[in-house]
Amino acid sequence: MALENWLERVRERAKSALSKPAPYGVDVNISEYLKPVSGEPRLDTERTSEVGVDFSAKAYYTQIDQAYFKYLSRIPGVEVKRVEDFIEENPDEAREYVWKLIDPAMDKYTAIAALKGLGGYFVRVKENTRVEDPIMTCLFMSIGGLQAPHNIAVIEKGADITIYTGCTIAPESFGLHVGVTEYYVEEGATLRYIMVHSWNRVSHVRPRTAVWIKPGGKYISYYVSIGRVKTLQTYPVIHLEKNTYAYTASILLGLENSILDVGGVAYLLGEGSAAEIVSRSLGKDSSRITARAKIVGKSGRGHIDCRGLLLSENSTIETIPELLAEAPNVTLTHEASIGKIAEDEINYLISRGFTREEAVGIIIRGFISLDIKGIPERVKKHIETIEKITAERAL
Amino acid sequence: MKMVLGVKDLSVAISGRVIIRNSSILIERDSLVFLLGPNGSGKSTFLRAIIGYPGVEVISGNIIFEGEDLTSKPMEYRVSRGLTLAHQTPPKLTGVRMRQLLEALCRKTGCDPLEIASDLEIKHLLDREFGKGFSGGELKRAEIAMLLAQKPKLPLIDEPDSGVDVDSIEIIASAIKKLVRETPYKSTIIVTHSAQISKYIKPTLTCIMVSGEVKICGGPELLSEVFIHGFRELVRESKGES
Repeated sequence: MALENWLERVRERAKSALSKPAPYGVDVNISEYLKPVSGEPRLDTERTSEVGVDFSAKAYYTQIDQAYFKYLSRIPGVEVKRVEDFIEENPDEAREYVWKLIDPAMDKYTAIAALKGLGGYFVRVKENTRVEDPIMTCLFMSIGGLQAPHNIAVIEKGADITIYTGCTIAPESFGLHVGVTEYYVEEGATLRYIMVHSWNRVSHVRPRTAVWIKPGGKYISYYVSIGRVKTLQTYPVIHLEKNTYAYTASILLGLENSILDVGGVAYLLGEGSAAEIVSRSLGKDSSRITARAKIVGKSGRGHIDCRGLLLSENSTIETIPELLAEAPNVTLTHEASIGKIAEDEINYLISRGFTREEAVGIIIRGFISLDIKGIPERVKKHIETIEKITAERAL
Repeated sequence: MKMVLGVKDLSVAISGRVIIRNSSILIERDSLVFLLGPNGSGKSTFLRAIIGYPGVEVISGNIIFEGEDLTSKPMEYRVSRGLTLAHQTPPKLTGVRMRQLLEALCRKTGCDPLEIASDLEIKHLLDREFGKGFSGGELKRAEIAMLLAQKPKLPLIDEPDSGVDVDSIEIIASAIKKLVRETPYKSTIIVTHSAQISKYIKPTLTCIMVSGEVKICGGPELLSEVFIHGFRELVRESKGES
């Protein structure tokens, strides 16, 4: 009953925000995406492999449009199910996790997700369960329209896990993707989250993510957008209690006329909390990239590192780092730079025997290569593959 | 074919300013050539002109390598023909690991990156970003390691001994000897202003460049005379000036 009341409140709040634009990014007419779409949902494994999805994983969740769902976990201590099943089976618990970190009335995208969304994964990693193999999740849009999954992960005390999400779409599908994601990292737990996006030139993407990290917890996020996209806007929110650590990296490749507005905010709430927000933007063609980052601190330390590389005459990159210290016991820093590839570096590599194209590829790969601490070998391999694909596409 | 590289009457400008005037040099098989001269005399520009570095403009003269006139060819082509340049100060490459570069070169040429890194005592640098935080000696050792992996036919080596500690010079000299041994012509040009490396490598030919001109070339004895008289005095003497 408590859950039903809560969900009713969620729906009411959502209705009030159906025409509320997001503070950042291009405003999208969402009604366009609510019309019925015809066609049979069909997985395109060529597209999903481009974003690194491995269907042989021991734990996975696959969703096609809002119509097909498949999930399984063969890893002891790891539970994977569709979010609706979790809500139905655990109503009291669901009351604690569903729409708790994200306000359904935040903007029209969360509103439409709350009212029309279907699917999404629920992942629970039980206390002290430590797994090196990533949980593989795949959100694929085949016929277009709206896809608004609601993802929840609860990483219990002392657990250690990686969630890998690949999101992509059939080439000409006219789609709006709003992924609502709420992650709970409990005491001493570690969650690594890798998300790879490769959309198409007519798709709009509005992920809405929030993370709560309890004392001693760690959250490491690695986000990459490597495909064409009409517009993409996201601004994850991370709350850090005492002695916690968050690291978020965004690798953004702007292609053709894509408009990307990607950023995030970290709230340092407790002593010993630390956050790093890193972005690497690559501007090609006529793309426009805005890389935002904000750290708000009462205690602890935070650092923002935003860098951009312009690879064409017509692309633009804007970085907006913001620091807000709310008490003296906090240290916040940022660095930001935007430029083009130094000709001297290219020439140096040519003198070493590389072709010009190889030299540019090496420099771009270096630019997006990040030294992320504490990444298991298997996850590192995924990241290396992503770096390689990104550098190839940037050429 | 006796002549490997022939540079004839070369004049070179950078941004419209003439840096090198009418300079010639001839490299044969088994030639270890030292190009000496004071700071700012144009030695590095001379090597850059040979390799065809962008921004270095040949005004007159020509560069013949293995019988082919490379004077108007781009650097990429000249490197593909077997020339290479060890830079005095290589750029720092953000995010590019030393290991990644060595492995990429070794994939092309068939070498063992670990063996090369071991020879130059730079294994500890393999997972570092190229050039970042390297000491003077480490940077030079890293650069020679790259040349070993590149397997050129004729390496041009710019100031391998400047800003380098004594231990590093010995390692660098030993690697240069190995590099030269592995080339088909067993030849190289080494630019140096201090000639410290001559303690370990004995040149077969020494040339002196002053004010943008190769003034004199001579045998090993010329090197000893440089240490005694200095560059300018020696050049004056060679011209019979008092």
